[in-house]
Amino acid sequence: MRRVAIVGAGMTKFYRNAQETSKELAYEATKMALDSCEMKLSDIDCVTIGSAPDAFDGVHMKGEYLSDGSGAFRKPVMRHFVGGGTGVLSPAHGWFMVASGMFDTCLVVAEEKMSCAYPHPAGAFITIFDHTTEQALYPTLIYIFAIEMNRFMTTHGYRKEDIALVAVKNKKNALDHPCAQLPGEVTVEDVLNSEIMAYPVNRLDISPTSDGAACMILAAEHVARRVTEKPIWLDGVGWCLDTAYWCTRDLYYPDYLEVAARQAYKMAGIKEPSKEIHIAEPYDPFTYKELHHIEGLLLAPRGKSVQMLVDGHFNRDGNLPCSPSGGLLGVGNPIAAAGLMKVIELYLQLKGTAGKRQVPGNPTCGVANAWGDLMQVGTVVVLRS
Amino acid sequence: MALIERFQKTTDIGYWEGQIPMNYIYTVGRAGEKFFREIMNGKIFGAKCDVCNIIYVPPRTYCEKCFARLEDSYVEVGTKGTVHTFTQCYETFDGMKKEAPSLVAVIRIDGTDGGLVHWLGEVDFKKVYIGMPVEAVFKAKKDREGSILDIKYFKPTK
Ligand SMILES: [Zn+2]
Repeated sequence: MRRVAIVGAGMTKFYRNAQETSKELAYEATKMALDSCEMKLSDIDCVTIGSAPDAFDGVHMKGEYLSDGSGAFRKPVMRHFVGGGTGVLSPAHGWFMVASGMFDTCLVVAEEKMSCAYPHPAGAFITIFDHTTEQALYPTLIYIFAIEMNRFMTTHGYRKEDIALVAVKNKKNALDHPCAQLPGEVTVEDVLNSEIMAYPVNRLDISPTSDGAACMILAAEHVARRVTEKPIWLDGVGWCLDTAYWCTRDLYYPDYLEVAARQAYKMAGIKEPSKEIHIAEPYDPFTYKELHHIEGLLLAPRGKSVQMLVDGHFNRDGNLPCSPSGGLLGVGNPIAAAGLMKVIELYLQLKGTAGKRQVPGNPTCGVANAWGDLMQVGTVVVLRS
Repeated sequence: MALIERFQKTTDIGYWEGQIPMNYIYTVGRAGEKFFREIMNGKIFGAKCDVCNIIYVPPRTYCEKCFARLEDSYVEVGTKGTVHTFTQCYETFDGMKKEAPSLVAVIRIDGTDGGLVHWLGEVDFKKVYIGMPVEAVFKAKKDREGSILDIKYFKPTK
């Protein structure tokens, strides 16, 4: 297998409602990524597209629809889709294209336009549940995540007011992100006093619905050396699907993620993740999920992540900065694009070009993950400078 | 970064209204046929894999771990369980405010590895806890139609 580098990236601002069509969003992100490393479409050998349910954008076979805006005209193109986990599977999918030796360059494009679906894109999820044993009960995504959060909190004795600090941290970090949809200075009280959605989840525990796109350019080593003085290496990829019968899982611990993370760590030669990884972008569509995922990524012992959060360990200037981008809670959550946004943040941080968001200490190794489907898919990438 | 004008509502700008017009009829499947026929009798069934020593609820035709066929291994599992975790939900499935919140739990059926998501009834939200023993409450026999809704809800035992 060949070593694969990231040489360019771009993304649109994340919006509640974008005027752009889905493919126009894809174009803006892709164009920006090409411009970032002075490459032309003719330098690109193939394209992978990540986008979550067709039901959001309301276009059946969305990959085909997005292809021209994603730079895929008369090129080999393939779409992948694992729900919320899609955006971090995107670079993994691109990695195969380049590592295999089949292609020297690959555009990795992720897009979501959730505002098309009304009255609310959440309605699209009713049909991901089992049609005979669950749909009749009208399950919602928020309630199954509330159920998971309750199990996680109760098992470890975590307090809601401590978990709320994730929203405080991420929304504050997002103040420095030019694409952010919901940055802000909020307090723990603001989170606790925001509208209750499904106990123990309040409004400010949740990332928004968003429109947006992101793009990353992958290249084989000989091309990367020509394009940039500082390629960032995609050294580990992993993914895993736990049982689709979500009611049979314990839910307090993300096994799906540990399996995926171990695969990526093994590939990257990482033996002690909590020591060797300097910066992380754990998937944070909900406050508790960042902590759940920090534990699943083996960056904190089980049951200890909240104390580390309270101690400031995960702040931008802490020992292990987590979601320095501002995460989904602050930057926004156009599903697939949000996952790729997190990988782009690692790329910028490791390159030392994250601007006001730059974490101190010249980090050289980072990990990002995403999660989705019926709460059971884990996707992980490890980047190194 | 690309800077694009922000809009409060998509209907404030040029738009076209559409839908993906399709309805579906889902079969309950072979394991579902057993499960729902027995639900009409006021019973809950699972499927046991002797190799993995797992009892799946609802039953399945195969074991996802070892791929054994389980159609000869359906077992009655009783109607009692424990609250594995729960929530009280204030939103409808399509993101609207509910008139009254619903109390929902994952129920681990006693002696099995399987769980059912269902409503809790005859109990106040504040009294519910993880580990609480519960049992299924069925509709009157004449009203049952072979649906998960033939179980009205789970209520605390005793
Ligand atoms: Zn088995």
